This record gives sequence, structure tokens and C-alpha cells, in this order.
Amino acid sequence: MKTFKRLTIPYIVWITLMIVIPMLLIVFYAFTKTGNDVVSIQFTLEHFQKFFTDPDFLRTLWLSLKIAFITTIICILLGYPVAYAISQCDTKTRNLLILLVTLPMWINMLVRTYAWIGILADNGLISHIFNFFGFEPTKLLYTDFSVILGMVYNFIPFMILQIESSLAKMDKSLLDAANDLGCNRMQRFLNITLPLSLPGVITGITLVFLPAVSSFVIPKLMGGGGYMMIGNVIENQFITVGEWNFGSAISMIMAVIIMISMYITRRLDKGDDGARIRKGGR
Amino acid sequence: MKNNKFMKRLILGLILVFFYFPILYMLVFSFNSGRSLTSFDGFSFQWYVKMFHDRNMMEAIYYTLVTAVVATFVSTIVGTITAIGLSKSRKIVREVVKQINDLPIMNPEIVTAVGFMLFYVSLRIEKGFVTMLLAHIAFCTPYVILSVMPKLRSLDKNLAEAAMDLGATPFQAMTKVIVPQIMPGIVSGALIAFTMSFDDFIISYFVTGNGVKNISTLVWTMSKRVNPSINALSTLIVVIITITLLFVNVVPIYKEKRQKEGRPISNKTFGIIATCFIVAIGSMLFALKGGVGSANPQDAIAKYGSDTLKVYSWGEYIDPSINKEFERKFGVKVIYDTFDSNELMYTKLQSGEAYDVIVPSDYMIERMRSEDLLQPLDKEMIPNLSYLSDGVKGLSYDPKNTYSAPYFWGTVGIIYNKNNVDKKDLEEQGFGIFKNEKYKGHIYMYDSERDSFMMALKSLGYSMNTDNPKELQEAYEWLVEAVHTVNPEIVTDEVIDAMANGNKDIAMVYSGDAAYILNENEDMEYYLPEQGTNIWSDAMVIPKNSKNPKLANEYINFILDYESSLKNSIYVGYTSSNAEVVETLSAEGGEFYGNDAYVPRVGYDKDEVFKNNDEVKKIISNYWTKVKIAK
Amino acid sequence: MEMEKNKLIQFKNIVKDFDGQLVLKGINLDIYENEFVTLLGPSGCGKTTLLRILGGFLDVTEGQVIFDGEDIADLPPYKRELNTVFQKYALFPHMNVYDNIAFGLKIKKMSKDVIEQKVMKMLKLINLEGFEDKDVTLLSGGQQQRIAIARALVNEPKVLLLDEPLAALDLKLRKEMQYELKKIQQEVGITFIYVTHDQEEALTMSDKIVVMKDGEIQQVGTPTDIYNEPENCYVARFIGESNIIPGIMLEDYKVRFDDIDFDCVDFGFKKNEPVDVVIRPEDLDIVKEEEGKMTGVVKSVLFKGVHYEIMVETVPGTTVSVDMQVTQEHDISSSDASEKISANDFYVDIKDMEELNDAEIIARADAQAWSTENDEYISISKIEYDIKEEIGTYPVTFSTSNGTSVTINVFVVKQQYVENPKANEAIAAFNFFKTVDEIKESAALDTDLKTWANAQSWKLSDESDVEISNVEYDFDPDTITAGTYKVTFSTQGREFKIHTTDIAEEGAEVGLSFFPEDIHVMSKIGF
Repeated sequence: MKTFKRLTIPYIVWITLMIVIPMLLIVFYAFTKTGNDVVSIQFTLEHFQKFFTDPDFLRTLWLSLKIAFITTIICILLGYPVAYAISQCDTKTRNLLILLVTLPMWINMLVRTYAWIGILADNGLISHIFNFFGFEPTKLLYTDFSVILGMVYNFIPFMILQIESSLAKMDKSLLDAANDLGCNRMQRFLNITLPLSLPGVITGITLVFLPAVSSFVIPKLMGGGGYMMIGNVIENQFITVGEWNFGSAISMIMAVIIMISMYITRRLDKGDDGARIRKGGR
Repeated sequence: MKNNKFMKRLILGLILVFFYFPILYMLVFSFNSGRSLTSFDGFSFQWYVKMFHDRNMMEAIYYTLVTAVVATFVSTIVGTITAIGLSKSRKIVREVVKQINDLPIMNPEIVTAVGFMLFYVSLRIEKGFVTMLLAHIAFCTPYVILSVMPKLRSLDKNLAEAAMDLGATPFQAMTKVIVPQIMPGIVSGALIAFTMSFDDFIISYFVTGNGVKNISTLVWTMSKRVNPSINALSTLIVVIITITLLFVNVVPIYKEKRQKEGRPISNKTFGIIATCFIVAIGSMLFALKGGVGSANPQDAIAKYGSDTLKVYSWGEYIDPSINKEFERKFGVKVIYDTFDSNELMYTKLQSGEAYDVIVPSDYMIERMRSEDLLQPLDKEMIPNLSYLSDGVKGLSYDPKNTYSAPYFWGTVGIIYNKNNVDKKDLEEQGFGIFKNEKYKGHIYMYDSERDSFMMALKSLGYSMNTDNPKELQEAYEWLVEAVHTVNPEIVTDEVIDAMANGNKDIAMVYSGDAAYILNENEDMEYYLPEQGTNIWSDAMVIPKNSKNPKLANEYINFILDYESSLKNSIYVGYTSSNAEVVETLSAEGGEFYGNDAYVPRVGYDKDEVFKNNDEVKKIISNYWTKVKIAK
Repeated sequence: MEMEKNKLIQFKNIVKDFDGQLVLKGINLDIYENEFVTLLGPSGCGKTTLLRILGGFLDVTEGQVIFDGEDIADLPPYKRELNTVFQKYALFPHMNVYDNIAFGLKIKKMSKDVIEQKVMKMLKLINLEGFEDKDVTLLSGGQQQRIAIARALVNEPKVLLLDEPLAALDLKLRKEMQYELKKIQQEVGITFIYVTHDQEEALTMSDKIVVMKDGEIQQVGTPTDIYNEPENCYVARFIGESNIIPGIMLEDYKVRFDDIDFDCVDFGFKKNEPVDVVIRPEDLDIVKEEEGKMTGVVKSVLFKGVHYEIMVETVPGTTVSVDMQVTQEHDISSSDASEKISANDFYVDIKDMEELNDAEIIARADAQAWSTENDEYISISKIEYDIKEEIGTYPVTFSTSNGTSVTINVFVVKQQYVENPKANEAIAAFNFFKTVDEIKESAALDTDLKTWANAQSWKLSDESDVEISNVEYDFDPDTITAGTYKVTFSTQGREFKIHTTDIAEEGAEVGLSFFPEDIHVMSKIGF
């Protein structure tokens, strides 16, 4: 099959050029600083030192992790019942509902998020409604709340779809078996359905947590210019400040953090019962 | 059981409301006759009309579609071929390629984007359409491979061998046997690729340039100011996507139904429909493209050597009809690119991009001059320089206006709601009002390190151009304290609409924006603290690397012209550099009659013009990031 | 004996309707305590549906299910005193062996030590002691199977339902598990209701077999009853192998088939009632021709391990012979010799004239054109003919686009056919023309001869196709020369399948012998 093997060569060249080299460039920039001219490139760890010794940068990192964590939890709590409800419908309704859940994802993220600004603004729709019912309007836009809302709004479809597909994939005879062995609906859900859908939840977590922790669009739109998450710091370093070396260092730190969390979730998945479910789910 | 069903419907209903309410909201307000995003004033199509007349938007749609179509096409083919190749490769090759292939999927998008940017910059590739397209292909292909691979894995290993055993060439075996088998995977891969490309923001944001924008990056630059055209554009996208998805989902059902009725749609009919579809999209693109470049270039090329002029200026900083008029008059094409901070502009220039006319601020001009990035104006070609206001002529950054022709100018001051803010507090405290706990939660700060430090330094009684580290440190502490005491929202241009709406009571704004706010909202007043403030000006310069300096001089002269200046000043709301225009507009019957913000304070000795100091800039830039984080 | 036992389950007129499709058409069945009952039938016969109704996973459309004297229609599955072993076991993949077995007990909130005791006992019963911490997905099929049984049995149900539990196992394991299951059933002493489509399984394990077809019960009985006394030919065919011959019951103890009268032990049929006669292959013996109750020719002998399976034809099939005229090469070359064309004369039935179009003519004449340079086929671009719907001979000319042409004759004839009313068959074939090369090159000569001669056979009663099983000819295809040869086509006659340890030679004339009690007479079904 030599002929077929050769088909990969162009792509190998391409990814080396477009994926490997850019990644190496980030690493290169992260560990160097330019002197007065291009020739005098010095290797240095000072960018990392700068990041890790400054409580302020560490705080943005902490904020990013916190916001992403809260977003993920909310996505699970809201997404699970929705996914469960969808999986209970008949095939036709199910397909329709899945389409309806997917459709917003087709619409530009910026555009979707932008729509919330008008709703949440200080003089916006919700504050009008609050006023109408005689409540004191609270500040909604440019808060943690609005950022988390924006993230949940953008990322929850991933969670729903993942959980739904793991529920749909489940062998229905397992449910019969549980009933047969004396489970009522609630017991059946807790003992069988929930544990078997966990792999879906875990994939959902990666799909929500990762974009949430690195996002800079949603914090900026929904949190305002003063809302600094780690993604905003990177954007800031590259676009406004022009400190590419420092920006690269932060990018690298973020990539590493994400790799580690991916590794942990994967381990969690496998170590728990992922392997078994993948086999048994068939 | 019943209860369960009810719960199920309730949950599904609520989530759908959550998903679709914002989209519906946007849809409704795209028909608003007013500018507001919060109150519906009446039904109108004006934002749609505006959208179709806005070349930036049409261009963005064009680039988005072309990029998405080409990227989908290329990545689908490359991805499929590679996946087939990989399935026959040695395990080690397969694993390595798969790992690398996963990188753009697993990595945060911003990291991938930064990588691309560094890559292009290192190779000195000018950013623009091609760079965006290549980046899109690069990040779409992994998804195609990812969606094709499982289909190949479930394929009978001997299929290709069987085909070749029966006499097919490897190419025939691939196209006639393997590809039809894995078609569902290819189609879903193509769909993912299209969506990824169509919706992409982050990567495009880092890799485009030269005025090439896709819808996302355009929305990003526009999103700071309320612009219902965005709603119109979004509505259009929603409608197109809904129709496409319905089409994609309904066709198979229809096909099946026909099949059941014994009248199957032949592949031929299907092919015709598909061809029609493609032709329709193609002609749409062509129409868009036609609209994009309409000027007749021959004369201009003869006279100036080129028919395009690349302008780099602030967002929402020109009456678009002026550029159109210039294009018509000179038979050229103006590429108008925007930035939202001087630093952003500078970074972009550093990354190797070339422009003909740039409109930076005072201190930045000083810096660019000192770094020898500018070329002198051809004063012969710009007779209109003689109409400049005295207040904006010969400022320290360019004493003889050798390099710069002022565009707009003004002050930085405090806009406040006279019903909620005690003017006495303002008079007593000046900028110190930003530390007054009384107004906690009712203040906007402007997301600009320079202006914020100006405020702090002035309030402390120092020069805003100080390079004394102690004074800067004090200013930093002042700002941290302010942020902690009054918990302001740190915003950029959103402040303009927010204050016009009366969302908050106090904000620091540029005089030009203040002028607009004063015209919009009667409750607002403009105050210039006695501690002194910043007299700023933005001026047109021609960078050294301009490819068309002759036309650039022509353009500058055209902008400084009375007619253009008048139109521009009315449209943008900023103080014109043309003395006569200022007079006309501030006189009785003028657009800005009685508007305190329009005519700048001239000759007050505590007012200063920014000077450039790289060291200070770095210090305050770091401080400011930390102030924001401290919030 | 059955009277002493209690009726544990009664199905009363069970009807099940899936979206207008009747899956069960009024099932009445009693099941007793401590019985091993097998529901046997092909897939789609409703056996699994019946089981699921009993398990509580499906509701009935009509009828009652009585369990221990109570109607259990409204009882949810988890309250029924029975447990199920599912088709693919449905073991919970996220639990280990112990937790799977303990599951039902844990749900009932039994105390930990009781659970442990019971689970251990079960593990001992199924011979998997020491497996409690194993991952169920890593076990073999047979082990998984036993755990599924243990998981159900540990709850001490009155009835265990097993839904094709051995279907996923390989043959050897399946046999082992059959004994194992039977052993377990005898040990725990409860009722097993077992669903399968494998008759051997049913015969091996059951106390009682329920044969089902299309939502109806065909027969209920012990394995011996069902095997030896099938109620109808459906049951006879489904259980074991058998020779089924249509016959006539002349009077009690006397049956006629294949024109011979036989003694038998059956009675109670009407006089001259048409019946089906079953003779099991192992009840037939091959004897010398003159000693047999019937005589015939040995058609095939297959070695089956313990015995030979011998097919003996007692009544020959229907036969027709035709002439094959073989000629030497008759290719026609074009003037420049760059291409060649060939075609054969052929016969056609006047009744088939309507079907005769260009494509059909090319096919029947086997018209071909090819390039002499590279042997690649060239398409026939023109066919000229004027064939009338009358008996006669008509010329047909085939040409290529280059004008190379060949002319053949088509003989329109009235087809002769041979009728055989006794066997309810007819057979027909045409004389045909072929070249030596065509015969030599044929890869599957029997099939080609049938095609060339257009040989067909059909039932006289309903004109349905009958297979032509024999093609005989008296030439050697490798050395054939021009000339006329006889080709004979015939259908299958009456064949008996015989299982015997004695060998017989193919083609030998033999006699068949059997005892009157080996004949089992059944009423006809399915009119």
C-alpha cells in the first residue's frame, strides 16, 4: 500500500509548516528576549519569572480558572436535565431538539453574545422589567454574572450534546435489567443511568472548561474592558502592549495548564470506568 | 408519569427560551427605527439599507464566505486524502501525525492564533486575505481528518485491495470505492470545517490585516459602539443559516418520501439543484465583489502610480461619504482600516504592514518621528494646511507641521449627570471625584493607561509628562485606590452610548465624544478640571513605507478642505482642525451651538500635550494592566 | 403427574399489537412450578414478545397474565417475582462481578453480611468463586453469561426468564452451558422459561417445549412428543431433520404415498384424507434392492462424522432432451482484418416473441465483436431483422460501426414440453447451436447449457419455477469436436434423506426399509 501511504506526505509537510513551527515559535519567543538588534537574541526565563512572581497575573489566572470552573458546574447542572429530557423523547422529536440546540452554535459567537449586551445593559431590557415590577435594578452587565452567563450561553450546547449522545448510546436492556432486579425509576437513574452517562459529562467538561478558561472575547464583551482573564492578558500583550515574548510565555503557560487538565480528565475517564463503558455501551 | 412529562416539557421549553431569546431580541431590534438597543421606537428597514450600503460590511461578508468556501473545499479534500493515507501508514507515523493534528483542536484557540501570527511575522508575510485563508485551512483540516478517520477505521481493510485486484488503479480504488464508503464522514467533516471557518473570530483576529476583515472581526471592531446594523447583519446570518439547515434536513426527508411514493429524485435532478445552489452563491459572491471594487483605476495609476490608498485610522472616525467622494473624484480605491489604540496601530506597523495615511495621536507621532517612521508632507500639495486652527498648529510633537496635518483635536474632561452629581464636588475635587465614595458604582473609567495616568497625575498636582518614578508610583496607587473606592466600570468606546443613555453619572471622555453625548442627553454636562487636562490632537501622517505618498498628500488635502471637514465634524462630533468649521458649527444655528465640549479650552497653562517617553510608557502600561487586574 | 403440580403462570388469550401488526394472536399457555419450559420458534414468531410481557416490559393489547393466581397486568417489572437473563446479558459495565450480582439485593436494602453470603453462594453455584472483583467487561462470554444468571437467581425469583441467553456463545461453549443451565435449574428448583430458536437447545434442556410460529402456538409437549409426534409438517421441519412426503390416509393404519401402500400405527383420520407423512432419516435403512419396501438410486453420500447422510431417489424427476449442434469457428473478419464478429443461430418460442428486442436477440445469439489487435470488445451498433410472429426461419444481421457484419438464422418454433402430472411438473428446452470454442471456454458448463437451451421447468398447478437439478450429456467438453450431441435436463425426483452408519455407493440401486411405527402421519396445514 505504498501508494496510499504517500498521500500523507503533503499534509505532513503542511502541518510541520503551519502547526509545528508556529508552536515552536511560541516556545522560542517565550524563552528569549530581543536585545537592541535582532542578532543579539538572549535566552531567558524572566518572562516566566515575571508571571509567577507577580500576584496580579496570578490573580488573573485564578480568576480564569474560577470563572471557567463555575461555568462548567452550571453547564452540568443545567445541561444534564435538558440532555436527559431530550433523550427521553421519541426519535423524531429528539432529532428536532438536537437541531434546535445545535442551531445557535452555527451563529457567530460574537453576534450571539452581542445580543445579550442590549438585554443586560444598565438601561436594558431586564432592568426595565425590574423597574416595571418595582424592584431595584441591579447591575448585570460587566459583572462576574454577565461573564458567566455569556460563557454558559455559548458553551452549554457542547455539554448537552455530549451528555445526550452518551445517554442515547446506552444499552436500553441495561435499564430493563435494572427494573427487573427491582429498581424503581429513581433508583434506576441513580444506579445505572447516571454512572453510565459520566463519560459524556467528562467530555462535556473538557469541551466547556477549555474554551472558557482561555476565552478573551466573552470577558471583554460581557465583562467590559476592565475584566481581565488570562486570554485578555495574552491579547493585550500581543495587540496593545507589543510584548510578544511575554505574551508567548503566558500562552505557553496556558497551553501547559490545559494539557495538564486534559490529561487529568482523561485519566479520570479511563481510571474510573470509561474503558468499560465504551465496551459495554455497545 | 404526568408530572414527569410536564417537567420534561418545562425544562426543554426553558432552555429553548434561553437559547433563542437573545437571537429573537436581536432580530426585533434590527427593525428598530432608532439607534437604541433597549427601547423600540418604531419599525424601519433603515439598518438593513445602511448595511447594504456599508462597504465594510459587504466586504466582510464577501471575505467570510470566500474564506469559508475555499477553506472548506481545500481542507475537505486534503483532510480526506490524508486520512486515507494515514489509515494505511505505519502506526508510528499515524500516531505522530494524529498527535500533531490534535494540537489545534486541543490547544486554546488563542494560542494557535498567536502561533500563526508569530509565524507570519517571522517570515515577513504581509497579513491579509491569503494569511487568513491559509490559517483557516490549517485549523479546519484537523477537524475533517478527525471526522473521516473513524469511518475509515470501520471500513473493511481489504476494500482497496479488492478494487485493485479487480483492476482499479490506486486512484480509482480511492475515488470509486473508498470515498463513497466514507462519504458521511467527509460530509460531516466539511460541515464542521465550514462552521469553524464561518464563525471564526480569534484566529482571524490575529492573522488578518490590510483592511481584510471577516464578519467576526468586523463585529468586534464595531461592537463598542451601538450599531443596529450589526443586528441587521446578524439577522441576515441567522436567516441564511436557518434556511440552509432546514434545506439540509428537509431534503433527505423529501427524498425519502419521494422514494416511498415511487418517484425518486434522480441524482441528476439533485445535481441540478446543487449546481443551482452553487451558482447562486457564486453569483452572490461576484456581485459582492463587484460592489467592492468599483473605481475606475486607469487615470489614477497614470497620475499616482497606484489606484489604491490605504488609510489606517480610528474606528467610527470619519464620515464614510467622504471616502466615497474621494474615490469618485480621483478614480481610486480607499482601503480604510481601523484601530482602537495608538499602541495597536504601532504594533501592527511593526509587524510589517504598510499604509499610506495614518491618523495617530500626538505623542505617537512624536515617537514615530523619533524612530524615523514618517516622511514629510508635501506642503505644495496641501494648500488647505493654511486653514488650521491656531490651537492645533505647531504643537510640540511637530512644531512646524512638517510631518503631520491635524485631523481632530480637543480636551479630555468629565461628563456628568447634573441631576445626580453635585457640581460643587466637581469644582472642589476635579479628577478627585473618581475617588469620591459618594459616587461608588456610578462611574466609568476609560480603558487607556495614558488618560488614566493623566487624570491621576493631574489630580496629584504633577505634570502628566513626568518621568519621576516616585510620582508615577503615586499615580498608580491613586488609581488603585480609585478603583477600590468607587468600583468603576472600565470601558472603552461603549462609554459614549452608555452615557448618552444615562446609564451612569460620571465618566472621563474625550471632548468630541462629550459633544455627541451633550447633544443626545440634556442631563449631561461637561467639566474641565482646574487641575488642568490633556489637550490632545490626532493628525494625519504619511509613514516611510507608504507605497503611494503622492495620493496620500492628495487625500490629506482633501480631508482638510472646508466641505469635507464640516461634514466630517458633524458626523463624528469631534472638533475640527479647520478654524472656519469650528466657527460655523459653534455659532448660533450650528450643529454644536452652546455645546461646552465642542470648542476646546485654549491657552490654560495647566493643560498639557502628551510627550512620548518609551520608558514611562512601559512603566504605566504595566501599572495599568495591574490596576485593571486589581479591580 | 402434571396434575400434582400447581399452575404458576397462565397466559389467557394474549394478543399483542405493535402499530397494527399482530405479533401475538391469542396465546393460551399454562406453565407449572419447577418446569423448564422452552419457547421455540424462528425470529419474529413472538416468543420474545411473550417473554417481555411476562417480565413486565411490555403491556398486552388483550388478555390476562395470571401469576400465582393473581392478574399481574398492572404490576411494574420491579415488583414481579421473576427475573430475567437478557440476550446480551445486560451486565452493568460500571460495576464489578460482585456488585452486579449484589445489585438486586442492595436495591432491596438487605444487610451487607446477608448480601455477601448470598452472592458468595451464587458464585459457588455458577463455579466462579474468586471472580468477585473482576471487571465484567473483561470476562469471557460464558462467564458473563453465568454472572447474568447468578445476578437474576440471587433474588430468589419464582421464575427465571431467559431470552436466547446462549445465542452469543460459540458452539462448544453453548453445549457446555446447556448442561450447566439444566443443572442449575434442577438445583435451585424453580421454573425456567427459556426462549430460543435453536431446536437442539430446546430438545436438550426442556421439560416442555412450546413451538411458536407467526404469533401462534403450534404445539406444546415434551421433547420426545414433539420429535416423534409432530403435530404438523411445520413442527416436523423445525424440529430435527425429516423426510416429509404428501400422502393419503386410506384407512386407519394404512397410508399411501408415492403409489405404494404402507402399514402404519396412526389412526383417527378421515378416509382418503390427504396427509403429510414424516419419516425421520435415522429410521430408514438401506437394504438390498429386492428387500426394500421402496427402491431407488443413491444420488449422494456425505460423511457427517458419526454417520453418513445418503440421498436416495425413489421416483425420478421430469426429463427433457435436446440436440446441441456444435460447429467449428465461424467468426467473420472485416475486410481489413482489424475486427471480428460472431453469432449463433437460435430457436425461439413463438410465445416469447413479444420479449424479443435488440438486447435479447444479441444475448440469445451470443453476438460479439472484437478487435483482433487487442482483443477488446467492440459494441454491436446495428441489428437488422424482420421476424414475424409466425413459425419459420428468419435471418438476422449484426454489424459494427465499421460495417463488419454477420448473419444468422432465428428459428421461430412452437416449443415442445414434457408434462409429468404425477409430479405436478413440466419441463422444456430448445435445440441450440454452439461453436467448439464456446463450449471449451465455458467456465460453468451446466449453467451455460441451461441458458443456451433456455431450459425451464415449472409446477403445473401454479406455474411457479422448479429447479432443474440435473444436466447430463455424453461428450467431454475438453475434447469436443463438431457434431450433434444430446443434452438431457431433469428435475429432482422424490428423494429420501437417510442417516446410517452403513456406506452405499453413489449410483447404486438400493432398497429402503423401515417399520410401520417409523411412519408418522400428520394433518395437512396451511391451506
